Amino acid sequence: MKRHKIIFMIPLLMALLLIAGPPPSAWGAAFVQCPEDQDGDGIPAVHPRTGAVLDPDDTDLPNVSCMHLTGGDGWVTMGDGEELYVFGFSDVTGIPQNQVLTKGIFRTNSPAPTIRMREGDEFYLTLTNVGTFNRPDLFDPHTVHYHGFPNASAIFDGLPESAVAINQQASITYYYNNREPGTYMYHCHVEATEHMQMGMLGNLYVDPIQNQTGIGGTVESPDTATQAGQEGGSGPYGYVYNDGDGSTAYDVEYPIQLQAFDKVFHDASRDTQPLPFADMIDTYPTLNGRGYPDTAVAGNLLPPAPNSCGGDTVFCEQPSSQPVSSLITANVGDRILLRMSNLGIVQHYTITVMGIPMKVVGRDARLLRGPDGTDVVYETNVVNLGGGESTDVILDTNGVEAGTYFLYATNLNYLSNNEEDYGGYMTEIVIASVSP
Amino acid sequence: MKRKVIKYHGTSVILSLALLFLFAAGASANAEIPGITGPTFNLETGTASFPTPDGDSLFVWLYGDGSNAVQYPGPTLIVNQGDTVTVNLTNTLSVPTSIVFPGQGEVTDPAAPSGTPGLLTREAAASGGTVSYQFTATHPGTYEYHSGTNTELQVEMGLVGAIIVRPAGFNQTTNRTAYGTPDSAYNHEYLFLLSEMDPYIHDLVDFGFMNLVDNTEAFPVFWFINGRNGVDTLSDHGVPWRPNQPYGALARTRPGEKVLLRLIGGGRDQHAFHPHGNHSRIIARDGRLLSSNGGTSANLATDQFTISPTPGGTVDAIFDWTSKGLGWDIYGTGPGFQHQCNGMNLNQGPSPGIDPDTGEDCEYHGVEIPVSLPGLQDLTFGGWYSGSPFLGQFGQLPPGEGGLNLNGGLFFMWHSHNEKELTNFDIFPGGMLSFVVIEPPGTPIP
Repeated sequence: MKRHKIIFMIPLLMALLLIAGPPPSAWGAAFVQCPEDQDGDGIPAVHPRTGAVLDPDDTDLPNVSCMHLTGGDGWVTMGDGEELYVFGFSDVTGIPQNQVLTKGIFRTNSPAPTIRMREGDEFYLTLTNVGTFNRPDLFDPHTVHYHGFPNASAIFDGLPESAVAINQQASITYYYNNREPGTYMYHCHVEATEHMQMGMLGNLYVDPIQNQTGIGGTVESPDTATQAGQEGGSGPYGYVYNDGDGSTAYDVEYPIQLQAFDKVFHDASRDTQPLPFADMIDTYPTLNGRGYPDTAVAGNLLPPAPNSCGGDTVFCEQPSSQPVSSLITANVGDRILLRMSNLGIVQHYTITVMGIPMKVVGRDARLLRGPDGTDVVYETNVVNLGGGESTDVILDTNGVEAGTYFLYATNLNYLSNNEEDYGGYMTEIVIASVSP
Repeated sequence: MKRKVIKYHGTSVILSLALLFLFAAGASANAEIPGITGPTFNLETGTASFPTPDGDSLFVWLYGDGSNAVQYPGPTLIVNQGDTVTVNLTNTLSVPTSIVFPGQGEVTDPAAPSGTPGLLTREAAASGGTVSYQFTATHPGTYEYHSGTNTELQVEMGLVGAIIVRPAGFNQTTNRTAYGTPDSAYNHEYLFLLSEMDPYIHDLVDFGFMNLVDNTEAFPVFWFINGRNGVDTLSDHGVPWRPNQPYGALARTRPGEKVLLRLIGGGRDQHAFHPHGNHSRIIARDGRLLSSNGGTSANLATDQFTISPTPGGTVDAIFDWTSKGLGWDIYGTGPGFQHQCNGMNLNQGPSPGIDPDTGEDCEYHGVEIPVSLPGLQDLTFGGWYSGSPFLGQFGQLPPGEGGLNLNGGLFFMWHSHNEKELTNFDIFPGGMLSFVVIEPPGTPIP
């Protein structure tokens, strides 16, 4: 409905542009607020997810994470080769804030860049709205909704109806004090049906303090035998929750975020047409933004042609708009953590893993234990996920034969990429034998 | 670009504090689910057309209590555990109809013989037929009732409602619990009956082409909470402009108080209900406490941020909100924002614990909000934003913005996360959408 009005406003906007020239703020700067950015260039000391040193001039502060995202648009490739126009987020942490409004344009990722923090981290998340390069008629604001953040404040909840959304060419910094580990997700909540269908969806994890302390230790004096491998200990690679007994330990982990696109909707958005909300159906079911067989492609997916931007170096720095592979690889005996969530916006889906039992240890960023500690962890071969639900599944491959297994939706008609069969919600789990 | 911190008006603090003291003593007021009490109910069926937010209307078949207009959903039947419940139904529809009571055990005929035999249950004949049902409300909890005749069509047409069975010992002022256990105690309770409709089916029935209805092709484009589409869900119960849709779905609470959500999958589809603001503790499903200790406590309960009642199923969940772990002072800092936390003055340093009256996490008492907000020109504002990030406060907003937040509360959306359902036949926003308002301490509710 709103779109219709905007379409009628295009001539008016064009006239305004002709009179006023380009908006002066297009040459402005993003505005990053981060205690780790002591020299004020908008770059924190280290990247919160990769740990890479970004700015040697700054001091890495304990328990502080900073990240800088842009909200904008771009292109992705579906499993049948079709290219879709999308909205999305891009990670510009490390780009000086005075360059973000040019370099951050038209480089959206699908899924959105994964946010990963530790329990106890204060997280400063800056969102800069760089506008929609392919739809200059739009002036949509954006937000980040940290989906599942407990005891939220309205101002940082990212719900535009009850707080604020950031306009184009401007920045807002959200603040979250991470106290509860688990598998969350994030997305834009502006005109949620539209911006989520258009792809502004991503993974968000908080690692438990037990990774640092080990079982029974403290941060200052960890139990090194059980401290997580990712924190330098001799224990398992990581834990999903503060279980106190190692029952959520894992050796490898993979994100499985269900996202589904409707081709008609995306093409209508690309072509500045009225958007079909009522007729919306999932024609491109994807795991982490790709349909099978692309899900099983290791590493980056090659960027679609429109993303090459005619050789313009400013817009061509992004190597891939779909960097998250869903190919699951492990050795026999590994415990595989699947951080599963559904950010599709049409219906519930059920996911199965053929041949390996699924142990469900967490749901909606909570360890599956009752209020008095009663264990409610269970084994299954299917997990049902509605929109906005998350589930932590551990696959124990101890005793499993080496080989290739499949993870797929039991809603079998969604194993397709639009009109092409053998696609959609499916990926491969490759279990390698370990030489004795 | 010039940045500045929004200046907040702290003058209303005094007012808020005055309100606090005024109502702190009498804060026993609480929200109840509207409905009719038994144990004998005389229901009728009837037709109606109610307006939809896209400007159209839907022809519907509804239950009523015989004295008020028929309604969607049907009257919420509120009974006590152990009651012998009698439901007498008079049918004014042009087709036979009936009621089934899922989860209630054996249903008998108090006026044997009443009604005519049907496939699932005894039916009331078309155009004036009557039928009676009787059952014992053995278990407390949240249930539904709906038509047991040509169910796939009649529930779509609107013949569905909620049943609440109060536990033994329940008292609206002194002992509000859902299941008689301490962990099912609450301050406020709200119903969320989730359903959907396909207008094409309703048009066919309206125009006399019932034989052309093909339920396998049902494709809903309207989504309802308690029989209303968003944002009509936010209107009060019983507003005169919604004669056939008397139940609102706006939840209000105060910091630290417990909200009981009674969720019902009242349609044919599954919906993913996402309460913003905090996790909810799932204490019961389908009228049974999640318990492995004989019903002493919901020891199998877990906390979730999205709740999916299955079609025909119910979920009871407890939600509360405090500023626990927020990292900054939700009541604001500095001059004009004086307040205490657990008896401690502003800027007296952290102390553990949640203030029982204000829900403030004293660990962050006096801690400034860690970031400055963008200038007004860089923001788009929501109608339910007070202009201030602080609870109970108002701030500067551009002309024409805000205005829907009367007490400076925190609004959190409670909505379907299958977000297609946030529309009214192609129009966003709408559909399965409501809010919870965390009102400042002392705000009268309802």
